[in-house]
Amino acid sequence: MEREVVEAEMVLPSYFSFKKVQGYDKYPKSQSSTRRFKHLKQIIQSEVYPPDEPNYLSIESPPSAHPAKRVCDITGYEAPYHDPRTKLRYANTDVFKTIRSLPNEYVQRYLALRNAAVVLR
Amino acid sequence: MPVVSQIQRQLDYSLIPSSTPIVIDNGTSYFRIGWAGEDDPRVVFRNIIQRPRHKTTGETVTVVGDHDPALFKYFDCSRSGPRSAFDSNVVYNFEIMEWILDFGFDRLGANGSGIDHPILMTECVCNPLYSRSKMAELLFETYGVPSVAFGVDGVFSYKRNQQLGVCRKDGLAVCPGFMTTHVIPFINGEPDFRGSCRTNIGGFHVTDSLKQLLTLKYPYHMSRFTWEKVEDLKVEHCYIAPDYFAETRLFQKGAPEAESKTRCWQLPWVPPPVEEGPSEEELARKAAIKEKQGQRLREMAEAKRYSKINELENELRGLEFLLRQLDQVEASGIPSFLAETGYVSKQEVESAWTKASQSLRKVKGEQAELEDKPDQSPSEKFNLIDVPDDMLTAEQLKEKRRQIFIKTSAEGRQRAKQRRLEAELERERRNQEDEERRLENPELYLEQLHVKYKELSEKIEQRKRLKTNGGHTNGNNQSGGVGRGERLNAAQRERMRLLTTAAFDRGKGEDTFGARDEDWELYKLMSRDNDDEDEGPDPDEAELIRISSRLQELDAAFVPKLEMGISQPAIEVPKFRPLTEEDYRVVLGVERFRCPEILFNPNFIGVDQVGLDEMAGVSIRRLSCKDQELEDKLTQSILLTGGSSAFPGICERLEAGIRMIRPCGTPIKVVRAVDPVLDAWRGASAYAAALQFRSQTFTKMDYYEKGEDWLRRYQLQYSL
Repeated sequence: MEREVVEAEMVLPSYFSFKKVQGYDKYPKSQSSTRRFKHLKQIIQSEVYPPDEPNYLSIESPPSAHPAKRVCDITGYEAPYHDPRTKLRYANTDVFKTIRSLPNEYVQRYLALRNAAVVLR
Repeated sequence: MPVVSQIQRQLDYSLIPSSTPIVIDNGTSYFRIGWAGEDDPRVVFRNIIQRPRHKTTGETVTVVGDHDPALFKYFDCSRSGPRSAFDSNVVYNFEIMEWILDFGFDRLGANGSGIDHPILMTECVCNPLYSRSKMAELLFETYGVPSVAFGVDGVFSYKRNQQLGVCRKDGLAVCPGFMTTHVIPFINGEPDFRGSCRTNIGGFHVTDSLKQLLTLKYPYHMSRFTWEKVEDLKVEHCYIAPDYFAETRLFQKGAPEAESKTRCWQLPWVPPPVEEGPSEEELARKAAIKEKQGQRLREMAEAKRYSKINELENELRGLEFLLRQLDQVEASGIPSFLAETGYVSKQEVESAWTKASQSLRKVKGEQAELEDKPDQSPSEKFNLIDVPDDMLTAEQLKEKRRQIFIKTSAEGRQRAKQRRLEAELERERRNQEDEERRLENPELYLEQLHVKYKELSEKIEQRKRLKTNGGHTNGNNQSGGVGRGERLNAAQRERMRLLTTAAFDRGKGEDTFGARDEDWELYKLMSRDNDDEDEGPDPDEAELIRISSRLQELDAAFVPKLEMGISQPAIEVPKFRPLTEEDYRVVLGVERFRCPEILFNPNFIGVDQVGLDEMAGVSIRRLSCKDQELEDKLTQSILLTGGSSAFPGICERLEAGIRMIRPCGTPIKVVRAVDPVLDAWRGASAYAAALQFRSQTFTKMDYYEKGEDWLRRYQLQYSL
């Protein structure tokens, strides 16, 4: 290791005196950690929820009661119109010209900002 | 102020009695650890890890928190991005959690065997049992902790502010965090989680949206917009507008207030070194050199010409001599005489002589001689034309026809030359007029030129667009595909017609296309290759080129619009113009308040949940207490805490929002926490320092004996 890296103590040592079980014993290299641990979705699904108490799911906020305000994807102004071809929202004709000249990649990224991109799985 | 990590190793671990609890604020963005009873956490760092590979040794190491980026040059970080133990606000990856705890304890100064202090740790609201039990297991088994307590960070913050008198014992805590935002009602100093409410929007989403918007707007500077830089920008420049759409209207109109609200970030830009026009002496020197070269070339040409003349003259003289000799020799002796010289007959010698004399004359003389020749020849050769037909023999008739043909072609050539001369004169005249017009009123002339240029370029573009069928924009339509509603030009219409007639059933019910050879000719007609041949350089384009060259001469600022097809994306920096300072300026206008607005309007990001202001209403509704007084008490003490509550203007906006949803006239008071970032840790520290804290913890024995159900229902009593 280079001297300055050692001096900065960037790297986590593999042995600690205060640990009863060291990391390398506990997690064998075989399985990657992502496979070993359940993600939030799976955690929530496998939980048992008694009816009366508040739990992680019941706390979620409901959708908004007000109608959603439409905002132009590119400029951020109010956008009463949307482009049928690309599904982007725009505020005026100049923005529309810009939208029509965008390559497809940018269109998808603007839509992804709004969580409206076409996702192919 | 962005949070600065402090990771100095503490040295007094062994001095602290083992009854003093360790307080950990395990936040989604920052990990804070310290001793109970103290005012500030000892160690603070970003709650992420990275696992880069060392370049020389090849081993994969773990790096916790954020470190000096310069040190990362020894590591290959391409396959390792920053990873977090959290999924939304719940810990799920306990291997990463273990590394983080390792680092935290180590920097706190832990040594000896096992952590011998009780631990108070924060978790999210209604933490799933799985996460809580895994965390407890980790602490008990791996670190040997004697006892553990879990609490909610927002609640600790509220309790601390309550103790400081900022808020009352009944109230609402509004905590926008890093990944989520919570609203927790408090009744009599205790949180009531039945009324709490969580939206999955936090500071992370604000920063992420700002980053995406900037990279989409300035793709050229994409590498500049790192996560840390964008966070800094967010902290420094973002604010929350009291009314989003009123602000946007300001910007749309271009009002002066909008100008003052726009911030510009000038990236370092060095103008390219301006080449000084070559000085006078340079120019003179270059001109002299050119002169000399020209002179030399001319001399060489002259020399060559002289030598050629000499050669030809010699040849001519030789041939003349030969001819004279031939005259003296008898007719029969000619072949043998000529055999030496290489010519077969006298005619050949004569023709060679004429050729040589002609070329000599050409080299010596001027164009005028050649020009004179065709003028002479008509008079010589066309002698037969005027003679009427019946007086000539067959041969002479043929001769006469040939002469007529030659004469007409010669006349045609004359006429063409004449026309060319006239056209040139005309062009000269027009140029003169142009120049005069320019000299008398340069600006107007320039304007007119610009207008003409624009019109012409638009016309050409439109025509191109028609031809290529609406264009290759967006890639959504296949190129050349005939879709509904797209205009077809003449060629494509023709093609369609051919296709339909060919495919159409010619009666009889059987498709006989192809039985005859002529059918396949159809494809030749349909071939697209023939399409583009019809339009040569049409006059419009030629005119356009002429105008653009004129403009380039005259107007320094004119930029020719190169033919990039239809797409002139505003996004691409046109690379044929030197990049100016402006291209390197990142302008933050609407983005300043558009990004934090998603806290109040998660719909901007596509998250279908309520924003901050409506969350308060939802929370009160969920409490389902019919007591108007209690509700008033709640709205009178609304505390804003959490890392993302530091935006200017958030208090006023929240107050206005809540006023809209509560009945008219209810008293509303929104206060900000004393220190939105550290108050959670401080509240937890004060809580752990209290005497009754011991009773709120649970030990390893409790954990194993009492079982899961008990752990699920475990909750701190926050007022001690």
